[in-house]
Formats: sequence, structure tokens, C-alpha cells
Amino acid sequence: MIEAKNINFYYGDFHALKNISIAIKPNTVTAFIGPSGCGKSTFLRLFNRMNDLIENTRLNGECLIEGKNIYDKSVDIDALRKRVGMVFQKPNPFPKSIFENVAYGLRVNDMGNKQFIQQRVEESLKGAALWDEVKDKLHKSAYELSGGQQQRLCIARALAVAPSVILMDEPASALDPISTSKIEELIHELKQQYTIVIVTHNMQQAARVSDNTGFFMHGELVEYSDTKKMFLNPDKESTQNYITGRFG
Amino acid sequence: MNKKLSQQIAFIIFKLFGILVVAILISILGFIIVNGISVINWKFLTAFPNEGMTTGGIFPAIVGTLYLIIGSLLFAFPLGVMSAIYTHEYAGKGWIVKTIRMMTNNLASIPSIVFGLFGMALFVNKLNFGDSIIAGSLTLGLLALPVIIRTTEEALKAVPNTYREASLALGATKLQTIKKVVIPAAMPNIITGLILSIGRVSGETAPILFTVAAYLLPQLPTGIFDQAMALPYHLYVLATSGTDLEASRPMAYGTALVLIMIVLTMNLLASFMRRKLEKNRSK
Ligand SMILES: Nc1ncnc2c1ncn2[C@@H]1O[C@H](COP(=O)(O)OP(=O)(O)O)[C@@H](O)[C@H]1O
Ligand SMILES: [Mg+2]
Repeated sequence: MIEAKNINFYYGDFHALKNISIAIKPNTVTAFIGPSGCGKSTFLRLFNRMNDLIENTRLNGECLIEGKNIYDKSVDIDALRKRVGMVFQKPNPFPKSIFENVAYGLRVNDMGNKQFIQQRVEESLKGAALWDEVKDKLHKSAYELSGGQQQRLCIARALAVAPSVILMDEPASALDPISTSKIEELIHELKQQYTIVIVTHNMQQAARVSDNTGFFMHGELVEYSDTKKMFLNPDKESTQNYITGRFG
Repeated sequence: MNKKLSQQIAFIIFKLFGILVVAILISILGFIIVNGISVINWKFLTAFPNEGMTTGGIFPAIVGTLYLIIGSLLFAFPLGVMSAIYTHEYAGKGWIVKTIRMMTNNLASIPSIVFGLFGMALFVNKLNFGDSIIAGSLTLGLLALPVIIRTTEEALKAVPNTYREASLALGATKLQTIKKVVIPAAMPNIITGLILSIGRVSGETAPILFTVAAYLLPQLPTGIFDQAMALPYHLYVLATSGTDLEASRPMAYGTALVLIMIVLTMNLLASFMRRKLEKNRSK
């Protein structure tokens, strides 16, 4: 269970998120849509505290994961990020081998011995539907893979440390249609085990993969509801306009 | 005059100047090679100077220069790399970083003779190391420091931020991220900086003049508190203060040739590595 309560976020003087509250159920896929620059990524990056890396930012409000405010002083940020994985917009594997990419999170978190790592890498690659394509070249550079394969590798890398939540920021926006549909299928699979929050500018994608959808505009969460309802019968006119492509 | 013609004339002038620069470089090199190549042989590289430095070799100066390269980089490389990591990865954009960067730039523009004077005052006299390899190495190290800091900073800047984010997002600490992702990715460029600074360190005369360089030594140094001979200073001695300048002139050219070869090799190595790296990145 993820819960954000009255979130206000500032880049310097710029008020990027305006009083946002949201509750996300476990083992669901939640999509954030909205015009570019409306704050989707900023909001997503609150949940693994990636915004902490940006200087001169300010946050008000509470952000709870499994009942605990992740912005509490006592929270171990590294441990939080292990529980809340992230897949980025552009595939960003490390300049290491395929195997080492997936093993990385296990190694830095001291998770298990060599044998365990071996096994976990295999499981994770299978979990990301990449195993069959790479099992014969695990020790080749990750950059020998195609863009779509690289993105699935990044998903495998995130799965390896056994997170409970996976955040995805436009994970398919840099990919071709076939790779995109593979990622979407994968999201369907992963829902069984993980809570997934995905940012996308592609409304068909949101409609295809998500259970719930949040529509953002100008730093506000305009509407948040069941995906079907959102696309068939939204409450707000601006949502309707955006979905039917009348602006944005 | 019509536009085309004036453009053509301009190009010809630029081209001539370009060729002139190359010609100057080649004639310096050619001059050194022509004059120096005749004395270069195995004995010249492995024997001590003899008969008032008119015969024999330059072995102790080569060894001394190698010691000074190693000594100075042993000091400057870790210090420079760590300081660059601090300013680039940790310190944010506050006044500390601005100050460090300003100091680094200033350090780079201080004339090398001033380093020599400072090295003498601090290492030779104040810390009482005497004229020694350690004093010379530390002084040369100070000289190499800004080069290493700057190239390391550039190398770190070239590491995509997405690597850092990916690592942190997996629960790695900042230190782990730097050790396991950032530094390995930056290493080829950092090494390039290291090699460039070897070129710098091996050629400098002024910083070693008052801190380590010996006119002539009957034996190789046995410890870091011994004096040493070094190629650039030896060249100076051969050219200006031997017993028979006329007779030691070929030795001077030979020494210059060896020195140039060391520096050129280092620079070639650096640009080779950079090109190889760029190729890797575009893959
Ligand atoms: N690091 C930053 N510093 C300052 N402003 C930022 C930064 N990142 C994003 N913003 C601003 O915050 C707003 C929301 O950005 P973002 O969350 O990236 O939007 P989205 O992902 O919906 O396109 C934009 O107006 C953007 O310009
Ligand atoms: Mg975004």
C-alpha cells in the first residue's frame, strides 16, 4: 500500500506538485498520464526519494509505504530504494556484462553468496522475459543488446533485489512498437508479484496496462480513478479533453 | 576584388600559417634527432657520464627521472583523483567547490620556478628533507596536481548521470556507486590525465632545480632522501656548465632526444587511449 498525503513539492521557488493525495493498492498497476512538464516524473521519484538528489528542493506532506512515512528521519534511504525499484525512461544499463548488471544490486546490498547470486540473476532475467535471449552471452557487454532488450535488462536488474514496488518512468518511450508491446506484456506478468507505478505519455498504453490512472496537469492531480472509468467516462472536462486529444 | 577570389586568398594564407606551424615543429624535432641520434646507443642509455661528461652515458639521469615520475605521481595521483571526486561527486555547487576550483586553476598557472622555490622552502628546508628525491617528487607532484584534478573532473563529468541514478535506485550507497560504477566508467579518461601529467613531470627543470637535482653523482640514489640526477637538469648542465662544452654538446642533444621521446611517447599513448575510448563509447 502506497499513500501520498497532501504532497507539495518545490524546485526552488517553483511549485511543481500541488497538494497531491493518492492511495495505491498492492499488486496493481497505476498509470500517471498528463502533458509533458506536469509533474509526473517528479511525483514518481518521490516514492524512492530520487528527488533527494536534486539540490534546492523542498517537500511538504507525507508519503507512506506500508504505513511508514518514507521521509521520516529514521528511514534508511538505501534500504528504501532496495524495496522500491525504478526503471528509467532511457535504458541505462551499466557498462558491464549482462550478468554483472543484474548481479549489481545483489552485490551492493550484500545479498547472498556466489551461488545465490547466480540463481537470482537467472530468475530475474526470466522474470523480465529476457533469459532465453541472453543465456548464452551472459558475460557479453550489456551494450551489445538492442534497446528493448536493454530495457528488459534494466527491469531484471530492478527485480533482482526483490523489491515490492517498481516505479517506471516512461519505460517504453525510447523503444520500437514490438519492444514496447513486450514491455507491456511484462508489466502484466509482474503485477502478480509487484506493485507497479508507471508514467506514460502514451494514453493507449495507460489504457492497456493499468488498473488505475491518475491524470496530472500543472502539478495537480486532476483526476484519479479506475482506468476504464477514466477513459470512458471521466469526471472532469480537462481529463476528457486531454484523453480525446483536444490539447496537450 | 570579387568574393570568391578574396576567400581563396584567405584560405591560402591560413593554410600557409598552418603549414608553417607544422614546419616549425618538425624542424625542432628534426634538429634534435639529427644532432642527437649519433650518440644514442646502448652504452649511452646504460652508462654513467664520463670524462667531464663528454663521454659515457646518461643512465643515472634516466633512472632519476623515472624515480621522480613515480614519486610525484604516487603523491599527486591519489590526492588529485580524490579531490576531484570530492568536488565533482560530493560537494555540490557551494562555495567550497568554487574555491577549490579557483585554487586549482590558479595552481595550474603558477610558473614552475615558483613551485621550485616553494618546494625548497617547505620540503627541503622547513621539513628538513634536504635536496632529495622525496622533496623533488613532492614539488613535481604539486605541479602535476592541477592537471590530474582537471582531467579527473572532466572524466567524471563524462560519466552519464543515468549510471549514478541507476545505481542509487538499486539501493547502493553513494560511495558504492562511486567505487563500482563511476570510477570504472571514468578510468580510461583518468588514466589519460595521468599519462599527460607524466609528460609534464618528466620535462620540468625548474621545480627540481632547488629540490633534488644533482650535477653529477657517482652512484645511483639508494633511498628517497638521496639526491638524484634527472634528464632535464642534466641537459641544462651539459649545455651550460660542463668542463668542455664543445665536447659535451652531442651528449646534450642525445639527452634532449631521450627526453623528447619519453614525453612524446606519453602523449601518443594518451591520445591513443582517448581515441580507443571514444570508439568504445560510440559502439
Ligand atoms: N531538476 C529540476 N529543477 C527544476 N525544475 C525541474 C526539475 N525537474 C523538473 N522540473 C520542472 O518541474 C516540472 C515537472 O517536471 P516533470 O516532473 O519532469 O514533468 P513530467 O515528467 O510530467 O514531464 C516541469 O515544469 C519541469 O520544468
Ligand atoms: Mg517525465
